[in-house]
Amino acid sequence: MAYSSILDWIDFFKDPMDSPYYPFDTYNLAYDIGFKLHEIIGGTIAWLINLLFPGNGVSEWLMCDYVSAIMALLIFMILIFLVAFVSVLIVLWLERKLLGRMMDRRGTMIGMKGFLQCVADGLKTFMKENTIPKKVDKMTYIWCVSLIVGLSVLVACMVPLSSRWYVVDYQTGLLIIMAFFALAPFLILVSGWAQNNKYSLIGGMRAAELMISYEVPMLILICTAALAAGSFNIGDIVYYQNDHLWFFIPQILGFIVFFFCATAEAERVPFDIAEAEAELVEGWQTEYAGMKWGLIMLADYLRGTVSCGMVVILYLGGWTLPFIGDGPIPEIVFLLKAYFVFFLMVLLRAAMARVRTDQILNIGWKVFMPLSVINLAIVIVLKVGGLI
Amino acid sequence: MADSIVPVKEIEEKMDTDKMWVIMGPQHPFSHGLWTLKVQLDGEFVTDADPIVGYLHRGWEKETENRTYPKIIPMADRLCYAASMTYTHLYCMTVEKALGIDIPEKAKYIRIVADEVCRIQSHLMWLAAVGTDMGNLTVFLWCMREREFFLDLNVKLTGARMTTNYPRIGGVRNDTTELFDRDILRTVDRFEKALWDIIALIDDSSIFVSRMKGISYLSREQVANMGLTGPAMRGCGVDFDIRRDDPYDNYDKIDFEVPVLTEGDSYARYMIRVEEMFQSVEIIRQAVAKVKAIGKNAPYRMKVPSKVPKGTAFMRMEDPRGESLMYLVSDGTDKPWRLKVRSPIFTNVSTSKAMCMGCRIADVPAILAQIDMCLGETDR
Amino acid sequence: MTIKYLDKYPKNLAKSLWVMKPVWTVFKLFGKTVTHRSMTILYPYEKEWIPENYRGRPGLRFDKCVGCGMCVRMCPTACIKLIEVDDDAGNKVMRPQVNVGRCAMCGYCAEYCPVDAMTVTPEYELAEYTRYDLLYGPRRLNYEGTTEGMEVHLELTLPSDIQNGNPERRVRLADLDKPELTDSKCIGCKKCAKVCPVGAVKMVEKGVNDKGKPIVRPEFDNAKCIGCSNCIIDCPKNALELKEVL
Repeated sequence: MAYSSILDWIDFFKDPMDSPYYPFDTYNLAYDIGFKLHEIIGGTIAWLINLLFPGNGVSEWLMCDYVSAIMALLIFMILIFLVAFVSVLIVLWLERKLLGRMMDRRGTMIGMKGFLQCVADGLKTFMKENTIPKKVDKMTYIWCVSLIVGLSVLVACMVPLSSRWYVVDYQTGLLIIMAFFALAPFLILVSGWAQNNKYSLIGGMRAAELMISYEVPMLILICTAALAAGSFNIGDIVYYQNDHLWFFIPQILGFIVFFFCATAEAERVPFDIAEAEAELVEGWQTEYAGMKWGLIMLADYLRGTVSCGMVVILYLGGWTLPFIGDGPIPEIVFLLKAYFVFFLMVLLRAAMARVRTDQILNIGWKVFMPLSVINLAIVIVLKVGGLI
Repeated sequence: MADSIVPVKEIEEKMDTDKMWVIMGPQHPFSHGLWTLKVQLDGEFVTDADPIVGYLHRGWEKETENRTYPKIIPMADRLCYAASMTYTHLYCMTVEKALGIDIPEKAKYIRIVADEVCRIQSHLMWLAAVGTDMGNLTVFLWCMREREFFLDLNVKLTGARMTTNYPRIGGVRNDTTELFDRDILRTVDRFEKALWDIIALIDDSSIFVSRMKGISYLSREQVANMGLTGPAMRGCGVDFDIRRDDPYDNYDKIDFEVPVLTEGDSYARYMIRVEEMFQSVEIIRQAVAKVKAIGKNAPYRMKVPSKVPKGTAFMRMEDPRGESLMYLVSDGTDKPWRLKVRSPIFTNVSTSKAMCMGCRIADVPAILAQIDMCLGETDR
Repeated sequence: MTIKYLDKYPKNLAKSLWVMKPVWTVFKLFGKTVTHRSMTILYPYEKEWIPENYRGRPGLRFDKCVGCGMCVRMCPTACIKLIEVDDDAGNKVMRPQVNVGRCAMCGYCAEYCPVDAMTVTPEYELAEYTRYDLLYGPRRLNYEGTTEGMEVHLELTLPSDIQNGNPERRVRLADLDKPELTDSKCIGCKKCAKVCPVGAVKMVEKGVNDKGKPIVRPEFDNAKCIGCSNCIIDCPKNALELKEVL
């Protein structure tokens, strides 16, 4: 048997889009990286196996189109999750640091300007004992937190960072993200019942109350943006803004209302009535301890990041920059814009108090709702007039 | 005014629902200290409230009967940690009254300065608590930052931050230290500027104002019947301040205003306290000028007999939280036979039912923040 | 005086766009803390400035102390105890030992010390691993950098001085109150002479009694006496009394 070089097994310049099993329509950077990684790692393994057992079928099988597509997809998923996770950790760090500076203190100080504090906190919550109170409804109690966390991770992964960093590229991508996004309050309501605790019960009811007050104006605004762009596809909306005008200029009303609604969606101050710590201890999270609580906090911040991402996609031109368009690294542009929106949210949190339950209903139906309808009317007029 | 208050009876007639007792405390973020508020809820509305205090009872009054008079002063510090000098001052005044002595002028003015510094400290602590009860941590930290400067003043004057042990029977512990006049004037000047910032955070925010305005109305008659005192009373239209109407020490020689509002809601109680801080700054300025005018070598502490003659004495003063009173019965030895303390919060907290009735549960922390709980003096 | 705040508020908040002013206020402070340092201090690395008269744990100057027990008597938490230790010359002497775990840092021991041996110290980081470590013996109580300002002087003005138009005279408690003997109660047991820490009591023979035994009575050297009232407390017949000068 002749000696086969490693280069026979690794074809670094193979285009994943040539593969018959390529799962996307357009170029996907994350999948490309996954594919190349498999090319290197799988190719090396296949070469080694071939060295030991020349002429076996496993090496051939490892490098066939089908297996490389599956392996590339696996690595692609991990990559997408890791990027979402790291961006959430940065959000967490940003919140602590910015909030600290706004309150005339320093924020976290441990390691890398306080960044490692998030890691330490995460580790700490994972080390804690997994307590489950005696009188809770166990199945609902555990499943609710899993579903809330799972849904949040799913939504966070589904937000596209650019035209080449996405999971799904449906025509109705925006609607799907919003649908998953809006599922969590139901689960909060259910978990509030499941915990058999008065604070959690009130917290869960409040989550539902909160949802009915902001969800309607929010959906109207999303439809408005889709109307203006003529599509529910996120990429189309972003490129429409790039071609014409960022939506926050004609739809300044909508931008403000959507920003507040996104704050409410992420359950942050001033709309964190579901976990109002002054009267309800920790609201619906009261009975969750240790790892479960840590995961819920992570989910909270995932939802916060997604909210910021939605604001950026709908009103701030997504990953494009004026006069430049996509640019070399649109993902970073997108994240920076999202962090800017998050900075505004932190500013809001530092400056405001929590609203009351009846007040949020008032604000939602008497202020946000008319404003969003007015915004819709403006967009229709502009659209009919051919101005945007 | 009372638009947002839903009458309790009306709700009860409309719906036939189960009511729920929610127990807030003793380990609850809203109870600043160890106390419990049982709230009966009908949905989100409070239909009944029942405060439970006494977790911090340590037999203060009985303990004093085994101690000589000077040894009670450090104990009186620990009645209220937020404003330690007021109770010590009150105790010393009571014993001085029993002894029938008049203390030096300088000591009186230094006590006024110390008292008002403590009042500002206490009110800042309260303002910080209002911030957290409404869900804003910025107010908390900004107030604590300002409070730190006043604690520094305590350190400069007495050598300790919180439990100062400063007033003595017959005067004060030590004379004003070097450059104290300069430091205190600088601090209050800085404080006035910073307080406007904190006010901008609260009074210029429609969320804060709408959370406090129009809830928990109390009328003058209710206040009088329930014995509510202090800033909360003045917010309900009762124009009474012991500093002005029954002056102790040298408050009658100082020119200041007593703010009174007739609204009677939570926001009025809030505004009274904020205005009181500005008035305290004025009092400090005048008193410091008086201390300076009296001169450096003037006496500040008198020698007093260690035994108090047989008889009784009582003295009351305007604590930051209300009217506090001490009643001393002496049997002629160097230990008190009985020392009774009336703490304003013990009475004020009993009004929590009247205050919380018909409000939402979200309002309960915002309302009870306005009576500024301090459990050290309540339970004694 | 003028009302400062109630004149300006409540305001019409619609003019300042409901919530924009607090946001702007916070943003201003944010700009300040980003460009300058924020107000907090990094505690273990930086410490606040504290003045000389700061009341931390009590300190003791061993050589100045006479072991009178005034601090023990005045301590409100009863954390001070007199124990027997060797002094530099090897003699047994009584010196205070402080249980810092119980100390309330009130400064009474320093204030009432007749010879200013007890001082306050600016030492406040007192955490230890065991409770036993919190017992500060007389030698351990010594604080290296003791200065003048750490002494607490109990300077009083006599009411009589104020009446006589001499208000600037200061007296110390130790210089004034002296014990006084009621002769009829005294049995001449010499206990007062034994307990006096400064040796101000001298037993003097004053004739003989009916049985021919000498009558011994204490005589007080007021220059030496520090008014610690040890003799008064230990007198078995209550023959001594502290005469308070007012």
